[in-house]
Amino acid sequence: MAKDVKGIQLSRVRELNQLKITRVFNEKWLPNLVKHPRPQRPGLGLTGYLKHIQDGRIQIFGKTEAGYLSNLKEGETGRCLKNYFSLKLPGVIVAENIEPAAEWIAMAARYSTPILVSALHTAPLISRLSAYLYQYFSKKIKLNGVLMDVMGQGVLITGASGIGKSETALELVNKGYQLIADDVAEFYIDSNDDLVGRANEAIKNLMEVRGLGIININDIFGASAVLEEKKLNLVINLEKWDAKKKYDRLGEDNQCFKILGLEVPLLTLPVGPGRNLSTIIEVALRNFLAKKSGRPTYLEACQTASAPPPGNREGAGGEAT
Amino acid sequence: MIEKKQQIFNKLGLHARAAAKLSHLANMFSADIYLIYNDDKVNAKSLLGILTLAASVGNEIMLQAAGADEQEAIQAIGDLFDRKFDEEI
Repeated sequence: MAKDVKGIQLSRVRELNQLKITRVFNEKWLPNLVKHPRPQRPGLGLTGYLKHIQDGRIQIFGKTEAGYLSNLKEGETGRCLKNYFSLKLPGVIVAENIEPAAEWIAMAARYSTPILVSALHTAPLISRLSAYLYQYFSKKIKLNGVLMDVMGQGVLITGASGIGKSETALELVNKGYQLIADDVAEFYIDSNDDLVGRANEAIKNLMEVRGLGIININDIFGASAVLEEKKLNLVINLEKWDAKKKYDRLGEDNQCFKILGLEVPLLTLPVGPGRNLSTIIEVALRNFLAKKSGRPTYLEACQTASAPPPGNREGAGGEAT
Repeated sequence: MIEKKQQIFNKLGLHARAAAKLSHLANMFSADIYLIYNDDKVNAKSLLGILTLAASVGNEIMLQAAGADEQEAIQAIGDLFDRKFDEEI
């Protein structure tokens, strides 16, 4: 996690439609800062075991917490809540539209803690909240290239300025694949340790094609031609064909693109006359998916079988005679 | 590699038209040219990249160039900023 990020105000969390917040108590303290991407359920924290209740984490109350508090003897509830809320937590979200008792609200107010109520069950509430917070707190990096969804895989097409990234991407969009970001894609690491890319708000759905200017893909091709964000599976680097450079002829290169401590498979495609890049990329993806599903590559097939490789002329020797 | 601090003087800031002029100019040089603003670094040859900065009047950005014609590039781009992208008289 990036340490320089100070935090996010709870008021922004409250505005997230996906959390289905229905009511807010102690609204005055909504500017409290959340400093951690993982929400926390207090659990035993309410019984007095406060060691692992961390400052800066949003607290989630479900049926367990509510039930426990309402079953305590009179006086006990107050003592529990006092110990708990005195930690000055950024805020509590109560799930399943459970009505917070007046005593909770009063004690939370004493320690400047807002209480929000959500219509969601605890599990979806936590997963949606942490998905948002992970994106917010994650280290971010901008990469030059076009991010597309091709055959369900996130593909970043990179290469020097003017090599034809956008033109190739436009062909792919025309073939029915989706654009996520043209020119610059912003990446973050989500809660599954996956690298996820999206477009900067200022250039969402836009593509620059020399000669056409800036075009809005969503307007021209419709909503099915764009995607909000996508996990990155493959980087394809386009480079000018160099007669002296050795390109992979057997499909045995396993290059990697390193970014934010993660590795993504990398493929280098030389650009030359007569090479239809969008088709090559489509086939590269088919090949990538085949490898991913465990199908042996041509070379692996040759190595495992002692017999001559399939398609070898010797195999068809009978006919030749 | 050379760097230069540059203030934005034109009213509209780095909007589409200004960004187009800037990337067009940057593309005339062989040097790698970057704009740095708020910890974001974008390629000055990329129009959409410049737009993501959303830098406006009064902001200060850093110009960075590396390559054979870096001096000329920084000079020309700095001039374009100083001329307010030829937008205002």
